[in-house]
Amino acid sequence: MCAATGPNVTRLVGQSMPSLEAPDKAAGRIEYMADLTVPGMAHAKVVRSPLPHARIVSIDASEARAMPGVVCVLTRDEVHADPDMEEVYGFVYRDAPLVAMDKVRHQGDIVAVVVADDVDTAEAAAELVDVEYEELPAVMNVPQALAEGAVQVHEEFFPIAPELRPIEGTNVCHHATIGCGDVDQGFAEADFVYEDEFTAPPVQHCALDLHAVISQIEDGKITVWTNCQSPFPLGRELERIFKMPARVIIPYVGGGFGSKSRDRIECVITAAAKLAGRPVRYVLTQEETFMTFIRPAYRNRMRTGVKKDGTIVARHNEFWVDVGGYAISGARSANNTLKVATGPYRIPNARVDCYAVYTNKPPSSPYRGLPTTQHTMSYEAQFDRIARDLGIDRLEIRRRNLVRDGDIHVTGDYLRSAHSHECLEQAAEAIGWDEPLPVDPEGKKLRGRGVSCTIKYTLTPAREMSENSAEVALVEEGVFEVRIGTVNIGQGSDTVMAQIAGDALGVGLDAIRIVHSDTYRVPVDSSTTASRSTYHMGRAVVEATDNLKPQMLEAASQLLEREAASLVFTPDGIAQADGASEDDGAAVTYGELVERVGAPLAATGDCVVGGMYAGPDGRSYPIASTFWTFASCAAEVEVDTETGTVRVVKAAASATTGTAVNPHSIETQLEGGIGQEIGPTLFEQLVWDDGGQLINAALLDYPLPTMETMPDYAPRYVDHPFEGGPFGAKGMGEIGSVVLPGAVVNAVYDATGVLFHEVPLLPHKVIEGLEARAE
Amino acid sequence: MNVTLTVNGETLSLDVPPSTTLLDLLRDRLGLHGTKEYCHSGVCGACTVLANGRAVSSCSMLAGQVDGADVLTIEGLTPDEGLHPIQQAFVDNFGLQCGYCTPGMILLAKALLDENPSPTREEIIRYMGGNICRCTGYAGILRSVEAAVKERRSWS
Repeated sequence: MCAATGPNVTRLVGQSMPSLEAPDKAAGRIEYMADLTVPGMAHAKVVRSPLPHARIVSIDASEARAMPGVVCVLTRDEVHADPDMEEVYGFVYRDAPLVAMDKVRHQGDIVAVVVADDVDTAEAAAELVDVEYEELPAVMNVPQALAEGAVQVHEEFFPIAPELRPIEGTNVCHHATIGCGDVDQGFAEADFVYEDEFTAPPVQHCALDLHAVISQIEDGKITVWTNCQSPFPLGRELERIFKMPARVIIPYVGGGFGSKSRDRIECVITAAAKLAGRPVRYVLTQEETFMTFIRPAYRNRMRTGVKKDGTIVARHNEFWVDVGGYAISGARSANNTLKVATGPYRIPNARVDCYAVYTNKPPSSPYRGLPTTQHTMSYEAQFDRIARDLGIDRLEIRRRNLVRDGDIHVTGDYLRSAHSHECLEQAAEAIGWDEPLPVDPEGKKLRGRGVSCTIKYTLTPAREMSENSAEVALVEEGVFEVRIGTVNIGQGSDTVMAQIAGDALGVGLDAIRIVHSDTYRVPVDSSTTASRSTYHMGRAVVEATDNLKPQMLEAASQLLEREAASLVFTPDGIAQADGASEDDGAAVTYGELVERVGAPLAATGDCVVGGMYAGPDGRSYPIASTFWTFASCAAEVEVDTETGTVRVVKAAASATTGTAVNPHSIETQLEGGIGQEIGPTLFEQLVWDDGGQLINAALLDYPLPTMETMPDYAPRYVDHPFEGGPFGAKGMGEIGSVVLPGAVVNAVYDATGVLFHEVPLLPHKVIEGLEARAE
Repeated sequence: MNVTLTVNGETLSLDVPPSTTLLDLLRDRLGLHGTKEYCHSGVCGACTVLANGRAVSSCSMLAGQVDGADVLTIEGLTPDEGLHPIQQAFVDNFGLQCGYCTPGMILLAKALLDENPSPTREEIIRYMGGNICRCTGYAGILRSVEAAVKERRSWS
């Protein structure tokens, strides 16, 4: 019926433009969680466990309750006493009590919540809550947790996501395997077999906008303001726990990097608000964020069989991810990375084992693609060892093994738009791979170059919530309101969606208004994680505009008394196609249209993912990831052999982005990912003492990358349109950080001849490595 | 205790508890939310403001220490219409993503340019190295400050 399905010209897509909100951010006018208030709100302070593992003998909050200005204290007794409050939450793994019930499982575990009229009173009263603990043996790392007879962090397992499979009677809360071919036969056919073990310690995301929540219960309805990255799953979890409707509102978020991807404070503060009978606000301190979610400790044992020419014929690797005291986030994110643990290579015979293990560390969460980051570092570092051993050029050995379009991935997926070879060549070229390295005349500083290649999945399907929807509405004054669940966390999502919507409608940016992440104002979306929004939300937005257009045409047809089929969309409105001008009235602006209809016109669009892919060979293939992002990084380092200090001098990353919706935004995402990952690669790590106490939870003791550690960046991208993506786009927000460490480890190997099997590359470790090599 | 200071050109006389930091005073008493808080230990620079033209971490400064001082926050830098050239440089050069460190970064850049109107790249890096940004990898910030230096002649 529609002669006009819209101009669909790309005028905004492909343009570099600063984010829509950049001027307000530069002016300091954007409100983040810490800037929000609600009338009548009280303030919370959380009483946290000082011990990593202990049974709670008693809690005496009477002194705290008696303090003037204290509203209430929430402990396990109040939770028990409320029949309309479920005790345990977690929408991936349901193992986290609102407040500790029988025992605490990590330092900083939540024991009680003190609510008072002001923050100072809440803090003072929290000091008065007397908790008696019976200390239990703690398992502070994966080897301890897996040891014979180790204490169990949880006695029972409650996985929610169907793919999560615990091993009863152990601390393994999830074990899964992926594979292809016949691994034993593959190793039998190999000319050489290499075995390595790689490790990386926990770090924290250090998003500057502290995780915070305001919870209000009014007229039997919960309203929660939070900077969580998953508003809809959180809302459903609140509704399940409190048995009443819940609205979740996310303001602009000052970074998350995965630390806010799951709930850890929203449900418990809502319980406190219910008890208090008034809204309650809670803002984590920077120290508390280090005990709320961390990037997990990681270990990978990797065995690879190769032919003499460097062709990989077999791979078996096992990796262990330390999910900490609660698996509310870490278990599934570990499992997801099974899909990419073999890397962007053709491996005919492969097996990967993933173990997610409870310990008494704080809970883990994803960190900008982790653990894909550590997988990449592991297989790339081993690859350089193999190349050196076999005397094969490091780029050439990768060229011989990188996947191409039409290859079948270890998941069974039919790979398309891979372009992994182009990424490799682009990244190497961008740092001047073949140019001679500068030589230090004193011979104290060594230079080297390294390269690394990766493949990254996106969340597919979003199992706990497979809906990904958007709504587009023509509202007053001819503005198109684009309603999306995507959280604006600094990645530029509002801008990308406005570009996509603008082109889908054939209108300019000034005709677009974005409404984001309010569960009562926008349709459902799973989460803002896993580089998924540009693809999934972008597709939903395009479909919403497709569904809106017939409505607009129908309305215009009635107004103009013309056949809908004779009308076309223009940048300003709808007009008759056959050249009829406004003179004869056969045109209506969008503003007039909505005014004369007398109500907004709105339509939703969905992005349904999963199912099977129909390959060009006529066969059906599973879709383990809606799209795959490929990338390569080439880095140049300088190693000071006297101090052991490593400096990343240059870092180039090239990623497959599909159509580049906002090219400069892509480049700055790559720069940001690389710049952030410099820290965990060179100097960041969380350290626990023998008593299980985290000793560097404060920024004074925890260095972060600064402008002084910044390398010369060379961001690149391969922008062949991706079939199925909105205007051919796919996601890439995490890929810069994912691909860096492998390149740096390999560059240090190139410079020094020492292959380091763990990060960070701390100066004393580098010196030890150099000394061991000299001996 | 009583503190008298000038904030964004307005002289104020306030009674505050002695433990009040300049950050608390700005955010909680005056509602100037453009100044941000993260580490509360003088490390990250999110709370950077200018006191008598010098960049300071307002979280680590007691209100009593700025008695008599002239304080400039991001609200004071922002003109009634449009943006200050440094702010515009951050917008045009993708010098921000989440925007949380941005007010502090922009004020630090203002202090630098007031002190040294034509800094070299190395001088910019050394001066700006004190403030933390988690999103940009600093490249966009460096480009922004360099662009602002180039524009320096058009404002002063």
